[in-house]
Amino acid sequence: MLDLLREIAQTLRNNRLRTMLTGIAVAWGIFMLIVLLGAARGVVNSFHANVDESSANTINIWGGVTSEPYKGYKDGRWIQLKGDDAGAIMKDNGNVSSVAAYASVDTAKIITARDYLNDGFRAVYPEAAKSGKVDMAYGRFINYRDISEQRRVMVLHEKNARLLFGDETKAVGNTVSSMGLAWTVVGVYRHRWRSQSYAPYTTYKAITGNNDNAEELMVTVEGMRTEADGEKAEAGIFKSLARQHQFSPTDKNALWTWNKFTSYLRNVAAFGYLDLAVWVIGIFTLLSGIVGVSNIMFVSVRERTHEIGIRRAIGAKPSAILTQVLAESVAITALFGYIGIVAGTAILQLVDMMMGDVEGFKNPTVDIAIAQKVTAALILSGAFAGLFPALKAIKVKPVEALRDE
Amino acid sequence: MIITLRNVNKTYPGIVPLHVLKDINLEIERGELVSIMGASGSGKSTLLNILGILDNYDSGEYLLDGVLIRDLGENRAAWLRNRMIGFVFQSFNLINYKNALENVALPLFYQGVGRRKRNAMAMEQLERMGLADRAHHLPGELSGGQKQRVAIARALVTNPSIILADEPTGALDSHTSKEVMDVFRRLNAEGMTIVIVTHDPGVGAATNRIIRIVDGQITPENA
Repeated sequence: MLDLLREIAQTLRNNRLRTMLTGIAVAWGIFMLIVLLGAARGVVNSFHANVDESSANTINIWGGVTSEPYKGYKDGRWIQLKGDDAGAIMKDNGNVSSVAAYASVDTAKIITARDYLNDGFRAVYPEAAKSGKVDMAYGRFINYRDISEQRRVMVLHEKNARLLFGDETKAVGNTVSSMGLAWTVVGVYRHRWRSQSYAPYTTYKAITGNNDNAEELMVTVEGMRTEADGEKAEAGIFKSLARQHQFSPTDKNALWTWNKFTSYLRNVAAFGYLDLAVWVIGIFTLLSGIVGVSNIMFVSVRERTHEIGIRRAIGAKPSAILTQVLAESVAITALFGYIGIVAGTAILQLVDMMMGDVEGFKNPTVDIAIAQKVTAALILSGAFAGLFPALKAIKVKPVEALRDE
Repeated sequence: MIITLRNVNKTYPGIVPLHVLKDINLEIERGELVSIMGASGSGKSTLLNILGILDNYDSGEYLLDGVLIRDLGENRAAWLRNRMIGFVFQSFNLINYKNALENVALPLFYQGVGRRKRNAMAMEQLERMGLADRAHHLPGELSGGQKQRVAIARALVTNPSIILADEPTGALDSHTSKEVMDVFRRLNAEGMTIVIVTHDPGVGAATNRIIRIVDGQITPENA
């Protein structure tokens, strides 16, 4: 093995310029493959960071307008979801683990002695923390005790907490005034662009005289595995609400639904295709490099016909010649491929450092598994590039040694 | 007998088939220094190819050191060439990017001998040729005579049954030619069987027996 490497090093050194030029094509191909894979990875990472798999098992529902007359009702009727719909949904669908209702209170002011906010608050269930990707900085989010006891508590964004109390660290435990009542701040959260305030849905319902008009229902479904599961769960919920609100179960306009699970699955599939597309593009780029290697190996075999003849005459078996040509080809591809991998990885690290966490592009790096796949691709393609020249080389007869150059 | 040819025939196929060797019968004993002489086109190169297991023949029998050489596979032929025959070529046929030592050691590489051992064996042969101080020179840095002596060292390194030389002095001046022939004579004195194919009468005269080949046939000795 060491001897073989020595042989290869010798012949490659012997044709330094040619080796370099051929190698650059391979290095470029691999470089492109790595950069593309890294970029695709950046998009996929960003997707995974934004859509947590654990919150992907939810179906969000908004009220719509009916498009079919049904049971004496005319079409064009507005469907107003109710917090109480949760009971019907839970009763009909065994796999639903929770239903959260949300309402926006747009007109409410939130006031302290220091300042006030006039963008209202959102009446929510604890599930909102997960689906809204709320990252708690201080204190806690709304919990089920708040819901069951209809507590007057609020969660603020850190920017608003700073505005209302001068210092976001001092907000928790303090009181704000809203809708004419006093509320205790129980938590402060951070989020890049969301800044609304949160209060328990049941509290809001109680203080508005049992106004149960929910703007949105978020249904959490357990045990979904396939896209069919997701569609079935969605259909079940739709049917419950159709009966509850007396609209046709076939009237798709009566409700707006966002099935996060099926869109999650579709996204996963789409990213699978993205990955595949990148591999295909990368491999084809690499292919032009491989053709170059193959060509140069043909030239090399042709040039060294006499030498191969000498080697055969003094006792080299055809397999020894085959091994040498193949190994040389693999060596060129692997060596320059490695340079390409290193350069590509360096570029990705640089991009990662310079761009930071831009929306839609996160941590665009290749991991060990990809590096291994690329290395395998390199060795395979190197062997492939050398195969035909090697088969030509073993056809050289030892008599060639006697022919004068 | 180290070489026995019985009724060996060889025809090159073509539109007009060329019958180059016609019923060749030849015997060479162990320890002989023989030259095969003939004009261009006489068939001596074809005979050399057959003796060197570089080419097949159509009919007859060729025994080399007791081994019947006929219808061999590529691998078996390579193995026999490697172990039994030491080649010396007109144009030296050294690999130009390998130094003298590596060139001499190359046949051992194909035997799978380890690097340390084969370099030691190669060095021994270079010393025998008086070229120990040139071991790490590339062929381009050596004179014609030195190159041919490196080639002879390479032929000797596997301790073959015979040395087969094809016009070994063809590319050398008369002084160097004499040097190389002296090397062959010395090796022969040490017991090596040597067959030299040449058209140079001077080279033929320096051997102990001349086999003349004319039109694909061996002419009787002393004729």
